[in-house]
Amino acid sequence: MKPTTRTRRFVAFLAERLPAEKMSLQAMVQKKEVPVHRWSWAYYLGGLALFFFVIQIVTGLMMLFYYEPSVATAHASVEHLTNNVPGGALIRNLHAWSSSAMILSVMLHLLTTFAMKAFGRPRELTWVSGVLLLFLVFGFGFTGYLLPWHQIAVNATKVGLGSIEQFGEYLPGDLADLPRQIRETIQGGATVGQATLSRFYAIHVVVLPLISLGLLGFHLLSVQLHGMSPGVDRPTGRTEKFFPLFILKDLKVWGVVFLMLAVVAICVPFDAFLDYPLGAPYNPLGSTPDGIKPEWYFFWMYYPLELLPFWLVAGGMAVLQVGLLLVPRIFRGTSRRVLRTLAAAAAIYLIVITLFGQAIYEMFSGGH
Amino acid sequence: MRARLATIPIIVLTLALLPLAGPAHAHPEFEKAIEARSGRTIDCAFCHAHPDGPEGVHAGQIGALSPAEMQALNRARTAFEPGAEVDSPILNDFGDHLVTALGKKRLVALRQAPLQMVDELGDSDLDGDGISDAQEMLDGTHPLMRHHGAPGSLFVVNLQRSWFEILMLIIATVFGVYGISHLLRWFGHEARSALGDDARSALGDDARSASGDDARSALGDDARSASGDGAHSALRGEGEPHDG
Amino acid sequence: MDAFLYVGLPYLSLTILVVGTIVRFRQAPFSVSSLSSQVLERKKLALGTVPWHIGILILLAGHLVAFLVPDIWRSLTANHTFLLTVEVIGFAAAAMAAFGLGMLVYRRLVTARLQAVTNRMDLVVLGLLLVQVLAGIGVAVSQRWGAQWSAGTTSPYLWSLLTFQPDLTYVADLPASVKLHLGLAWVTFALIPFTRLIHGFSVPLGYLVRAPQQVIWATRRRLARDTARAGGVSPETSRRHFVKGLGGLFAAGVLMSVGVLDKLVGYFKGQRLERSEQVDLLEKKLERLRATSEEQALELERLEKDAILVARLGQLDPRQGRYFIDYQMRPALAFKGADQLPILISAKCTHLGCTVASDVNDKGQILCPCHISYFDIKTGAPNPGAPAKAPLPRIGWLLKDTKGTVVMTQDGAGNRTWPQGEDAIAPDALDGLQVWIAKRFEEEGA
Repeated sequence: MKPTTRTRRFVAFLAERLPAEKMSLQAMVQKKEVPVHRWSWAYYLGGLALFFFVIQIVTGLMMLFYYEPSVATAHASVEHLTNNVPGGALIRNLHAWSSSAMILSVMLHLLTTFAMKAFGRPRELTWVSGVLLLFLVFGFGFTGYLLPWHQIAVNATKVGLGSIEQFGEYLPGDLADLPRQIRETIQGGATVGQATLSRFYAIHVVVLPLISLGLLGFHLLSVQLHGMSPGVDRPTGRTEKFFPLFILKDLKVWGVVFLMLAVVAICVPFDAFLDYPLGAPYNPLGSTPDGIKPEWYFFWMYYPLELLPFWLVAGGMAVLQVGLLLVPRIFRGTSRRVLRTLAAAAAIYLIVITLFGQAIYEMFSGGH
Repeated sequence: MRARLATIPIIVLTLALLPLAGPAHAHPEFEKAIEARSGRTIDCAFCHAHPDGPEGVHAGQIGALSPAEMQALNRARTAFEPGAEVDSPILNDFGDHLVTALGKKRLVALRQAPLQMVDELGDSDLDGDGISDAQEMLDGTHPLMRHHGAPGSLFVVNLQRSWFEILMLIIATVFGVYGISHLLRWFGHEARSALGDDARSALGDDARSASGDDARSALGDDARSASGDGAHSALRGEGEPHDG
Repeated sequence: MDAFLYVGLPYLSLTILVVGTIVRFRQAPFSVSSLSSQVLERKKLALGTVPWHIGILILLAGHLVAFLVPDIWRSLTANHTFLLTVEVIGFAAAAMAAFGLGMLVYRRLVTARLQAVTNRMDLVVLGLLLVQVLAGIGVAVSQRWGAQWSAGTTSPYLWSLLTFQPDLTYVADLPASVKLHLGLAWVTFALIPFTRLIHGFSVPLGYLVRAPQQVIWATRRRLARDTARAGGVSPETSRRHFVKGLGGLFAAGVLMSVGVLDKLVGYFKGQRLERSEQVDLLEKKLERLRATSEEQALELERLEKDAILVARLGQLDPRQGRYFIDYQMRPALAFKGADQLPILISAKCTHLGCTVASDVNDKGQILCPCHISYFDIKTGAPNPGAPAKAPLPRIGWLLKDTKGTVVMTQDGAGNRTWPQGEDAIAPDALDGLQVWIAKRFEEEGA
């Protein structure tokens, strides 16, 4: 193909994905409509994820006033915030609960948009930006978890980063050392220490938020430009106007969800779920307490790593990540029924491994 | 120690009962019993000052005590009967409370069945989280940490304690959502008129919209009037005479 | 004087109120009116009457609740946040009422049309109400938290009046401002049957639930213009949305500011701690800093010194390891071997880095609790099937006597040397020898 033809096709591709002519207040405010069908409830999930993200930004900013990113005082500053600052325990609790809520809604959003084939043409770039946002969200979770600098934070991070080094077994010759070097670059040193805390802090507070805001802006713009996807094979023909009706319903959902989150955050400290030795300040020279494991949203990859051979899990993860990015291409011609089945299977796996992963692990490894 | 006649029987008694105080690694039975019952992991900091227990050279362990602290320790070790005020340097406030409430003799006997002490602790709640220390022992949650407890129990307790704040929050959220939703509707009307959209499509959509908008009845009339022949239909709808 | 104020006046006033109202309703029913002057002057009236009525109704409702259910009210106001909310709402309502009433007085003073229809009783009522509201504000400011103290003083007193067993002990010691407010209230009640205040008994409650009224213009042009201007709905609807919206947000804002604002300010102010709390906090910080400085002192030691003392051989135990920090700043364990010589081994698990426990089991192994790997202390080898695959590195050691002479060494691979000769070590002197780790063993990759 001649270069000019290829370029022209590329430009046409972009033009279809980013319809600038739709970027008018008129189109967005007046003409945008939301299909009404059995799966219409799923249209709220993206907005919920955004809502929780906003809560994270606000509570995170507030905590930033008190947190000290130094290995000597990080844990003490978090304790000070929790015990001595008025409302500090609530802000911290909101941040913890909202982070789990955000990741939950992001994963539901992923599954439902997949099942509804919302990645179909011309919405491919929306999907791709969404998958990148998914990776960022997990990055948020991983980096943020280290900041309180207690036993489970540091040890779980060590274990998590340690899995990078396990690649070394499968690499030939001199390359076998590369994973260790990569790990030490991420850590900023030979072990997880002050350098790690400083850079995870920077990543969690500045780098990831900036990238997220950019990607999120693009993602939301793309959704606004293309409108809500039909979602089902046979549209009912009933629609409701996005503005103001759907937004009002969205608002009510946000109100209810906010109340649920607030009640839970007021009444149940997130720390209560941890065994208290895991919440003690990290002691590099002491013994490690039992029960070190990552947050629940990492269970879907943690327990397979514990149970199955490393190469299998690592290979599966690579396939999954690349596959997710290429979904619009791979599943271009797939029927929604098949997509729904796949999404249901994925959902069942995620639910089972998150709720019963520990039990399964104990069954297969003789107990811990 | 000053040699007074009264101290001699105490020394004899201490030496006689010292074997009961336990061998080097003291009281792992308690830890195992609590972990088995609650399913949660704990460490020695449940009752002791140091998470690794009383043996060792760190702060809060026997190997690092000053002479004054050693005396306090001996006083605690010889508090065989309940009721003695103890302040042992190797125990935290809960450990001190156990010695005061049960006495050292009973504590040592409880090594055979540690969880029996749950019935003997009464209602004390040292950290004020609303869950009794005895219950926290069964749950494996730390009795001196206010934010640590069985999540279900904490939820109920805090719901009771903060009912007013939660009620106010619900009311404020309801008002806020109500307010914002009406402002959005107002803004929508203003935006549509500002954008100069033909009244018909806007009205048609509003009429289609499902929510119980109180404008609907007005719209029925307005739709007819604006799209049709002006005041005629409106006035007709209102039952007033034509104005020609 | 007190007897008249607290007993005579109330009964007199209530009698007049009841009898007078009944008589007025029967003899002059059409006079039961608020005598509205809206047709004469509209704008100032709106600005005055709306805040006045909203404010005074809120205040009266508050007074009524405290009177009707004092016990419930007392337990509710025991909650500090509730009390604060009520007090703030009360002050806000009082401000509105005072402003509205002031506007109404001003209006009547500057509008000639109104003066033409104002009679003496109108002036009396206006003046009385104004004084009463200001007196009420005075009471609220000088005797704060009236919502709380009224439940224990004026409420039982009023009940005692209504049950015809007047009990003055509740109110005997009240300050003059309260007596004024109370007295004027009775006077106001007594005046109701003789003034426009009678309109309180003919409030059109049905208006609260009536459908919105549509203003239909007679001319077609004006109708179309107004409809289009409001975006396709009647301007009335659009305005209603705006008012409801603003009202909702305002209410939410009031509640949030009462409940959240002081906490928000407190959050950013940080807490003013009690001295004991400050002491605790500073001690904790100091301890953490000490721990960090100790750690860095250890690091420095390992950079500077060629050999570091671990323990005396007599302090080591075959079943219970003794922790120390090796040259890589990793935790390590020292045991006494079966041959009475030291065994030094790294305690950083080769699986994922957890610290291995120090108790030796019957098979001569130590356990890493994280993922259950057992390591033999002599060889460092993990048990078959353990998550850890690589053995724990063994650490080389030196044995020095009390003078500091090295009498024996063993490197990480187990090779031993005797610099002073093998017989330089007497078996019974072993326990007195000191175990050291040496930098050169680390460099050789022990």
